[in-house]
Amino acid sequence: MDSRALHILAAFGTGGLLSLMVLFNGTLAAYGSLLFASWVPHATGTIAALVFLAILRPKKASGTAPPLWAYLGGLSGALTVMLTSATVNSALALSGTIAIGLAGQVVFSLIVDLRGMFGMPKRMPARTDWIALALIIAGSLILILFGRG
Amino acid sequence: MLGYAALAFLAGVLVILSRQVNGRLSLSTSAMHSSLWNHLVGMIALSVVALFLGGLFPQDPAAIPYWAWAGGTVGVIFIAASSWLVVQIGAAQTALLIIAGQMVFGVALDLWLGAPGNPLARIAGVALILAGMWFSRQGRR
Repeated sequence: MDSRALHILAAFGTGGLLSLMVLFNGTLAAYGSLLFASWVPHATGTIAALVFLAILRPKKASGTAPPLWAYLGGLSGALTVMLTSATVNSALALSGTIAIGLAGQVVFSLIVDLRGMFGMPKRMPARTDWIALALIIAGSLILILFGRG
Repeated sequence: MLGYAALAFLAGVLVILSRQVNGRLSLSTSAMHSSLWNHLVGMIALSVVALFLGGLFPQDPAAIPYWAWAGGTVGVIFIAASSWLVVQIGAAQTALLIIAGQMVFGVALDLWLGAPGNPLARIAGVALILAGMWFSRQGRR
């Protein structure tokens, strides 16, 4: 298997992990607040990451130290929870929040790639990438808006 | 309504922002170190919020099914994997394929759990997503 196929399958499987997280953390939210349902996975995740690091001992990249802002990805994640908790309870409901959130992800990820932001290389989508984008977003919108129907 | 739509859009932007920042950290450390910092910093931030809002812990935590506590462990692998992926294939393709996986596995989970749903929409949605992945495979880079 070439590296492209490996990356595609890995990303697809990573999305599968996300659907499990939605199920697990959503169940936490059914018993406690949304804040609780986000705090618990962050706390248990911190412990789990320490255990994984102790077992796997991944090699640290050598070279220059990362910029300080690179440590703050978790802030943005925590803020996402706050925003989502506001919009889920609005007229948008869950499906609207997810659908518009997808749009935000697609638009901003394209900007990031085209401009090579956050210390990453510039990337130009090929024509097949645009077709893939249209098909995957169309399929996702059908599932989000009508799949639970 | 428009204000809430803007907030929902911003939430999507923040998902990408977080992933890029974690990806940048993984470049200088490792994907698992990046995942650790993401969870640690997020926990501290949410703890501060909880100090102001209160009511963090539910009345009866013992009533929660044991498997629901596993979300954090899965999340660690998720963040490590996505930090690695953005470096390899970029923000847009990572986002798109993670969405694809979330949707298709979401349908599989719903079927397994017996959640009600529209079979026609499920078939059409999954078929379009798989077709999109096939095109994703064709591109050269």
